[in-house]
Amino acid sequence: MRGANHLPLILLFLPFALLPSLPLGGWGAFLLDVGFFVLLFTALALSWDLVARTGQLSLAHGAFFGLGAYGAGLLAPQVGTLPALLLGAAVAGAGALILGSVTLRLHGLYFAIASLAFSEVLRTLALKLPFTGGPIGLPVPPPFGGTWPLAAYYLSFSVLLLATALSLWAEKSPFRLAQAATRQSEAVARVLGVRVIRVKLWSLLLGSWVAGLAGGVYGMKTLFLSPYDAFSLGRAVEALVIPIFGGLYTTLGPLVGGVVLVSLEQALRLWIKEGYLVVYGAILILVILFLPRGLVGILGRRRG
Amino acid sequence: MELLLQTILNGLLMSGVYALVATGLALSLGVVGIVNFAHGEFLMVGAFLSYLLFAFRGTDPLLSLGLAFLAAFGVGALTYQGLIRPALKAPELNQMLLTFGLSILLQNLALLLFGADTRVVAPPYQATTLSLGPFFLGAVPLGAFLLSLAILLGLQVFLTRSRLGLAMRAVSQNRLAPGLLGIEAERVYLLAFGLAAALAGVAGVMLSVMLYASPTVGFIFTLKSFAIVALAGLGNLKGVVPAAFVLALAEALVSTYLPGGGGLVEAVFFLVLFLALVVRAWRLA
Amino acid sequence: MRKVVGFLVLIAGLAWAQIPLKAGVILPLSGASAVSGKAALNGIQLAADEVNAAGKVRLELVVVDDGTDPAKAVPAFTKLMTVDKVDIVIGGLASGVTFALSGPVKQHGPLFLVIGAASSVVEQAFEGYPLFFHYHPWDYHNVAAALQFFQYLNREHGAKKVAILYEDGPFGSAGIGVYRQQLEKLGYQVQAEPFKTGSGQFTAILTRFRAFAPDILYWIGYDVDALPIATQARQVGLRPKLIYGAPPSWPIGFERNPLSNDIAGMTAWLPTVANAESRRFVDAYRKKYGEVTEEYMAPMGYTIVRSLALAAEQAGSADKNRIAEALAGLKMNTPFGPLSFKPSDTGHTKYQGFGPEIWFQFQYLQGSRRPVFPKAVATRPLRYPGEYYFR
Repeated sequence: MRGANHLPLILLFLPFALLPSLPLGGWGAFLLDVGFFVLLFTALALSWDLVARTGQLSLAHGAFFGLGAYGAGLLAPQVGTLPALLLGAAVAGAGALILGSVTLRLHGLYFAIASLAFSEVLRTLALKLPFTGGPIGLPVPPPFGGTWPLAAYYLSFSVLLLATALSLWAEKSPFRLAQAATRQSEAVARVLGVRVIRVKLWSLLLGSWVAGLAGGVYGMKTLFLSPYDAFSLGRAVEALVIPIFGGLYTTLGPLVGGVVLVSLEQALRLWIKEGYLVVYGAILILVILFLPRGLVGILGRRRG
Repeated sequence: MELLLQTILNGLLMSGVYALVATGLALSLGVVGIVNFAHGEFLMVGAFLSYLLFAFRGTDPLLSLGLAFLAAFGVGALTYQGLIRPALKAPELNQMLLTFGLSILLQNLALLLFGADTRVVAPPYQATTLSLGPFFLGAVPLGAFLLSLAILLGLQVFLTRSRLGLAMRAVSQNRLAPGLLGIEAERVYLLAFGLAAALAGVAGVMLSVMLYASPTVGFIFTLKSFAIVALAGLGNLKGVVPAAFVLALAEALVSTYLPGGGGLVEAVFFLVLFLALVVRAWRLA
Repeated sequence: MRKVVGFLVLIAGLAWAQIPLKAGVILPLSGASAVSGKAALNGIQLAADEVNAAGKVRLELVVVDDGTDPAKAVPAFTKLMTVDKVDIVIGGLASGVTFALSGPVKQHGPLFLVIGAASSVVEQAFEGYPLFFHYHPWDYHNVAAALQFFQYLNREHGAKKVAILYEDGPFGSAGIGVYRQQLEKLGYQVQAEPFKTGSGQFTAILTRFRAFAPDILYWIGYDVDALPIATQARQVGLRPKLIYGAPPSWPIGFERNPLSNDIAGMTAWLPTVANAESRRFVDAYRKKYGEVTEEYMAPMGYTIVRSLALAAEQAGSADKNRIAEALAGLKMNTPFGPLSFKPSDTGHTKYQGFGPEIWFQFQYLQGSRRPVFPKAVATRPLRYPGEYYFR
């Protein structure tokens, strides 16, 4: 039973693990680049879902991403790649704790809008603070001194593996029940003995760590951060679109959703060019209308 | 003192359009229960309509107001019939993604049709200014403010006096009762969603005169409307006007009195919102 | 049959004599810079048609969209290099995106012909890269050109006070420190305020400026800000003698708006510019697209492709290094005036195409834009003070 559950995951990860060594000829490098962003944004989406399982609709994932990106970008020249990434994630985590502790009593759309406001304020801070490079932007060194071209790809892969592991743990442990109970009704959850505050804060913290790591790795790939790019609201929205598209409150849903949606967008852009987003928007609408439980809904239905 | 009054005046004038757009959002949220990310795109429809009529027919945007109301109502009603109705029972998040998809679709359709260029209209009264003693009032912002107020008053009368309006309020207060009372919820939803779009469409015409028309003109207004609606309390129609005023005033004060404040308007807008939400949540608890 | 064979031989002969060039084009066709990106692409395709019709070079273009987004630009660029296997890339319009491309460019080593990316941060990122040809002036060139105009306004018209509105993104903020310092050096009193582009809210800032009573209201922002600034300055009773702006492009329909009268701006090119290359470009453009463009990125793209083809012809080869060598020594006339490459003023990069000399100032008047400064290109005198002052 457990093995069967992992099969789709393994099937999903295998191509990405093998991608660097596959004989793809000219397409290899391009697919690696696309793969990098697929892995990264999927990890971000999974980290969003991790938070959403407690009923907190975060629009602050762009901010966590940005905090991680700027934290890692600013520290990497002094402390090296891996410590910088971890410290960046810690900065994102600190942001999450601040947000989480003051918004504990906000639910649903109120929380979403409060987190949106949080994110907008942070972006302005990134624009105005003296050490961020301001609106002109911040150059970031490539990982490990740029000696190993595949480093960014494997970092991105690791972030997704970590996100998946966290998500699987949350799904398999009693934490899942605590999350689900909190999502459905905090009052009932409290009666059931769930420490609602702790569950919500931990979920937000875990989610922000992953998002912060993803942001740090992003900066090391693009080599340049600007507040409008790193703290973009578009990224927060993408983090929310992918899990809904793939299937909410599961590990597999955001994974499938991320791989399909991010690849789809890249493919549409390359082959349709002008107006590709019209098709993209139409696909989102059609999926919601006809697959209300997301892409993994198909799997679920077949299993009965 | 003079500067302070002028600043309050500036904030007040801006709050009219904000309230108009946000009321539409509050309608679709309060009555239909839909978080509509595509609300700003209805505004864009109005702005482009105004631009196209002006550019090709020389129509004064004042005349486009009514037309935009109808056109946006139509687009809203179609959206409701085609997309929202089938998803009425879907989870909230699915509905959000649905309207988000629609927003991307409409924005990029406009991009394909008209390009990303900024377009402007030129009615003769565009920069007309009234001066009241030491104070300056732009005729267009003043007109937009008064018109917004009139429309919102009309809406209030409609909601409190007419049968359909009462039904709408009944639905917004209790989703189960209308069925029991024999109100056709679907018709009410259709009307509310169309009306919501129509308000945005009218605001779009005003903004085409004050700002510009472009595929992305609606985005920031969707964002700010969400802020206003949240500050007012989700679904609370009466709170929208004061909430819009508070936020517009905060913007005006900051950009007048803080050095470098022009770059901080949005941050302050959202900071005020954030604090208000947090404070209220703690007080209620 | 013999005819067919003869024809084939003829084709083969032609093909053999032709230099086959394949160039990648990476431009923002969607996202924030889409207007400039599409204009540039139109210019590029027009030039490609002309080059192919002339027959000496057979140019094939592979176009990709960078989405004005680093996360989309990097894979798109890699595809150009590895899938389409081009050695020559035209692109780099938005500065942030171009910066993100610096790593992949250094990794794959193409001849990189850069159409925009004025930020000097980009210049530092490409320092030491041997095949970097930057056509567009750098941001310090833009500042220099604007300052010349300010110097003239100060000397000839006695302007003393400047109020600057700058958008708080990278475009508006990049040069603001230098502007302030240099303007004060010229003897100006300066007040500068940031704003959010597209917000349309200037009344508060403009009200504050009223007490300062500036001679010149200078704004560094985007097309979306042009009309709100013009109307709101009037509405708050601000009466500058000159409203002067420097957006990358202007709104469509602005020239037909009476409020645009006497507003001045800076550009590198207008369709009315009176040089032979520009007139030829405008005619060809109208023939191909049925309209006239006002975006200077269109002739910029056109210029890049023309210079590339000419360099390939002179090199007699499609090899990127030999083309680069030929480009380095190239001299040609363009819609912007003469083009040749020299080391940049900061010494960071070796091949800089245009400098401050291509910028000029124009003024809107009754539905048209005409150059007014420098005197050498002016087609009518600057109206100073503008009509907004007399209200």
